Amino acid sequence: MKRYLALTKSAFLSVITYRFGFLFTFIGNLVYMILVYFLWRSIFRGSTTIHGMTFDQTLVYLALASSIFILFKTWTEWFLARMINDGSIAVELIKPVDFQVYMLFRTFGFVLVNLVVITLPSVLVLFFVFGVRIETGIGLAFVPLALLLAFLISFALDYIVGTSGFYTESTWGISMTKEIITTLLSGALIPLQFFPEGVRRVLELLPFQAIYHVPLTLITSPDLALTDCWWLLATQVFWVLALLVVSRVFFSRALRVLTVSGG
Amino acid sequence: MKTLRYYARLYVLIVSQYIKARMQYRADFIISSIGMVFTSLATILTFRVLFNSIPTLVGWSFNEIVFIYGFFMLAVTPLQLFFDHIWQLRYHVQEGTFIKYYFRPINMMFYYMSEMVDLKGIIQVFLGFGALIYASAQLELVWTPLRVLLLFIMLFSSSMVTISILTIAACTCFWTTDSFPVMALALKIRDFAQYPMTVFEGFFRFIFTYVIPIGFVAFYPAQLFLRPEDVSPLVYTSPLVGIGFFALAYVVWTKGVNSYTGTGS
Repeated sequence: MKRYLALTKSAFLSVITYRFGFLFTFIGNLVYMILVYFLWRSIFRGSTTIHGMTFDQTLVYLALASSIFILFKTWTEWFLARMINDGSIAVELIKPVDFQVYMLFRTFGFVLVNLVVITLPSVLVLFFVFGVRIETGIGLAFVPLALLLAFLISFALDYIVGTSGFYTESTWGISMTKEIITTLLSGALIPLQFFPEGVRRVLELLPFQAIYHVPLTLITSPDLALTDCWWLLATQVFWVLALLVVSRVFFSRALRVLTVSGG
Repeated sequence: MKTLRYYARLYVLIVSQYIKARMQYRADFIISSIGMVFTSLATILTFRVLFNSIPTLVGWSFNEIVFIYGFFMLAVTPLQLFFDHIWQLRYHVQEGTFIKYYFRPINMMFYYMSEMVDLKGIIQVFLGFGALIYASAQLELVWTPLRVLLLFIMLFSSSMVTISILTIAACTCFWTTDSFPVMALALKIRDFAQYPMTVFEGFFRFIFTYVIPIGFVAFYPAQLFLRPEDVSPLVYTSPLVGIGFFALAYVVWTKGVNSYTGTGS
């Protein structure tokens, strides 16, 4: 465990040096929040609630969705695909650690940086500068756990996309497709409540909503019962296990086609 | 005129070499194109879902928003097709390979940009025109030859604005070495152009009209075709805004190029 934590720490320290970049990502998130604010205020013009959500709830939901998106943006698939394409993965594979766990802890270090430098400041701005007020319920207590599970799902998806690097060099296209499907179908662009009933039922069966919709529901729904919370977390746990298994099987199968010549 | 013909011939020569080299990555082209189609579909679906809950967005109907989005896609295509090399500028500057562009007796910006053509942009042309045609049919817009000409003039002006904004963002790497975060931010602001500017109020509408003129990328020019009766005369300055901004981008580029000292190796 200790050696894995060392990975997290070194990843944290290696990216925290790029302060300039983080500042711009932070400003970018604020700019996005401004867009969401104006766009949804015009949508809410003349109605206090739409699909049971108030303007403030929607704003919090979407602004936090983009903050969570940045939180989990760790470039894992790019890193993995590059290691595969230039062959440097061979060196990593002979190390006496499990490769996926190695990647996981490394990625976790990046997530911590994002959390401290971008996500937390964005949340502070949202509540203190934008001045939104929302009621929260018991769900709030489960948010840290839900975010951790969401991170594992997001990581597993990135790992699967990165592993496709064994077969193709077009990480750009695959990663972009994954990103757009994930954000659209998970409620990150529009709260799931706004989708038509039938579509929404289908989306709730997919893993994507477990990344965004679950933690965001826990935050923005004041009247969740305890059993609702456990149920939401249970779906997340299911997807964590399912996707980790899929990613491991995919990776070990893909490994068979790998040939690294020299180096 | 002679120089123009000379440069056109050069461009064809350089680009055809690039396309030959890219031919070995056919799968990459297909996968990336699928990604772009998904992105456009996702945007239109997002609006579709939104319009289930509201009749109009600040007075604009779903079909009008599709029209604005189609215009937006076409306006950003020249950037993608002909100026895609700006995304690599930071690597060339960091690693010192940018030096080679100083040693050719042709315009540096021309030479640099001509080295890459992003063929995926062609997909965007089809998507953009598809959206425009769909929306026009739904809205029963009348297209006279004069209006088609006006459409192309407006698209030219708009693409100048997007090219200039991204080029200026890319040029920051001459002073800060890594321009990616600035470019990502510029891209994010550029994407505001898909929405009616009337969504924004007061301060922000002023900024997006006069300071960072993203209103001129799609919304103001699209108004000319959607609601010509209540268009503001400001729209006709669009070509000037486009050319003026490109001149500004060229000045920034020249300043950057002149201040670049290489990596020393």
